[in-house]
Amino acid sequence: MVAAALLTDVRKTYRTDHLEVAAVRGISLEIEPAAFLSIAGPSGSGKTTLLNLLGALDTPTSGTIAVGDRTTAGLTARELADFRNAHLGFVFQTFNLIPVLTARENVELPLQLRGVADRAERRSRVEAILRDVGLAEMMDRRPNEMSGGQQQRVAIARALVKGPTLVLADEPTANLDTATAHEIMDLMREMNARAGTTFVFSTHDPLVMDHATRVVRLRDGLVESDERREPDRGH
Amino acid sequence: MATEPRAGGLTARLTLRLAWRNLRRNRRRTWITATTVALAVMLLQLEVSTIIGIERQSMDNLISYQTGHAKVFAAGYFPERDELPLDRTVTDAANLVRRLEAIPGVSAAAPRIVFAAQLSDGRDQVPCTGIGIDLEGGETDVFRLPRAVTAGTFLTSGEPGLLVGSGLAELFGVRPGSWLTVVAKTRPGAYEALELPVVGLVGTGNPDIDRSTFFVPLATASRMLAMNGGATEIAVRFGPAAGETATLARIRSTLAAERGLEVLGWRDLERDYLAMATAERISNGIFLGIFVVLAVVGVANTVMLAVFERTREIGMLMALGLRGAGVRRIFVAEGAVLGFLGAAIGTALAVGLMIPYSAYGLNLTALYGEIDLGYPVKDRLYGAIDGTALGVVWLLTVVLSAFASFYPAMRASRQRPAEALRHV
Repeated sequence: MVAAALLTDVRKTYRTDHLEVAAVRGISLEIEPAAFLSIAGPSGSGKTTLLNLLGALDTPTSGTIAVGDRTTAGLTARELADFRNAHLGFVFQTFNLIPVLTARENVELPLQLRGVADRAERRSRVEAILRDVGLAEMMDRRPNEMSGGQQQRVAIARALVKGPTLVLADEPTANLDTATAHEIMDLMREMNARAGTTFVFSTHDPLVMDHATRVVRLRDGLVESDERREPDRGH
Repeated sequence: MATEPRAGGLTARLTLRLAWRNLRRNRRRTWITATTVALAVMLLQLEVSTIIGIERQSMDNLISYQTGHAKVFAAGYFPERDELPLDRTVTDAANLVRRLEAIPGVSAAAPRIVFAAQLSDGRDQVPCTGIGIDLEGGETDVFRLPRAVTAGTFLTSGEPGLLVGSGLAELFGVRPGSWLTVVAKTRPGAYEALELPVVGLVGTGNPDIDRSTFFVPLATASRMLAMNGGATEIAVRFGPAAGETATLARIRSTLAAERGLEVLGWRDLERDYLAMATAERISNGIFLGIFVVLAVVGVANTVMLAVFERTREIGMLMALGLRGAGVRRIFVAEGAVLGFLGAAIGTALAVGLMIPYSAYGLNLTALYGEIDLGYPVKDRLYGAIDGTALGVVWLLTVVLSAFASFYPAMRASRQRPAEALRHV
């Protein structure tokens, strides 16, 4: 079976005029399809850098990254944009919805970028996913008319609507209260189980980590541990 | 406008919708920028209205007082026109006038004798141009000279008299009732002098006429210069609905068999003026273009601020798969919509001012006294409401606004998504 993502000796070094910072120092990782994987570690351990590399938002200094059967090596900025559009979904810590668009329009955006020309098809896919994330009654609200949890649900719907190979979530619950954080994690887990979409999320919150089926801990840009576990759903 | 989605970009409709809504995010800034553009566009539209108004008035003035819509000359006269020769004349002018007036599209034709003369009041002698006009024929149908009489009366058929350009009259210090002597070389080559009363003064706004021309009845000129029924030119006016090119072609075709005649439209007659007007239009256009460029600098600034404020959003859009070109289009569209909005307000304000400007005009004499604009325009300047010009200025503003937004849009599109998402 093809891995959902495969990282081989990936390194990322940031260079300024006077400084060289190795954020990721040689990580190899195989992420199996339908995984619900948490990348954990203290601040500065390389979590966000690793997610950015996995999400083709940044390019590695060395090493290779593949998502599904496609490698990102040698792709131009334009090809990387198309790659992200075709294979990846993102959920951000600060939701990052477009404030001037409604929930429906925000979720529709990736489909338009994907080139789904049929408006009726876009509409039905958007409405279905918004219903799945529990926002059937809020489709025409703008982000500022929604709570943080609701906005993150829209962001999850936006990440999933195009059926990506991999959804990357960078500290998706960091801006939410504990109860809402659990709701969001449950929702992501549910989506993971229902559609078999692979989720990789970063966190340093142990409660959030408990939802993961696999926890990869980073320290100083290296994998410190890689633990497979049964998720604790009994919060 | 393409509305079909394509991979990596947003539809034109969504791009415009985003642009409009994003502009409403910071309404105060949008309105300040739009107001700046609106003021610049309003002034520009009024300036363009003035330029077009001047050109139209000038052309109307030239046609009404100097050229008519066309003139028929004896072959070889036109190249020598500055010498005002009397030996290249249209013979049997009355018959030719009748034939011309029978051509469809021609409303009137009138013979004229244009001659070089010296005008004297007994002390001073001034070289000027005399024009013999046919008071019994179509002169007043072809030209609007009676409307330009500023003192005294127009010439009367059968009564010898002089109608003197207002500038020329001022030079001599004459009024209606004064006498001046006309000295001219006759067609056979002898000098002839004729003392005539000034019956009226004309002020056309055309310096060629007002400062150096006098008019006498055609019969007087013909007798004095021994023209034997000949005229130096036949001036022709077209009907209001007649097509200029088609009517000119019909006249040429009617007179084609007569090798001794040459027909020139007013645009040929005033080629020098039209070339000057075109050059003026180009130089004004460049100047005004710079004016709009300065106005849209504000648009560039607004878009630059928007790019800075929405860096994370740009990163998110790139993460979703929006290509650099798509990012550029979003911000260029914002600039264009902002320019469109400013230009719309500016144009609306300008049209509001143009309506009275075109109806009542601006009294130049009251404002500036006797000034020479370099155009044959008299007393009042009327603005023109020209839909094409309004549209062009509007469109130009939109295009320049989009162009001005290109640099900030380019900067937005060149960001790396990971860095853009980290932006605080």
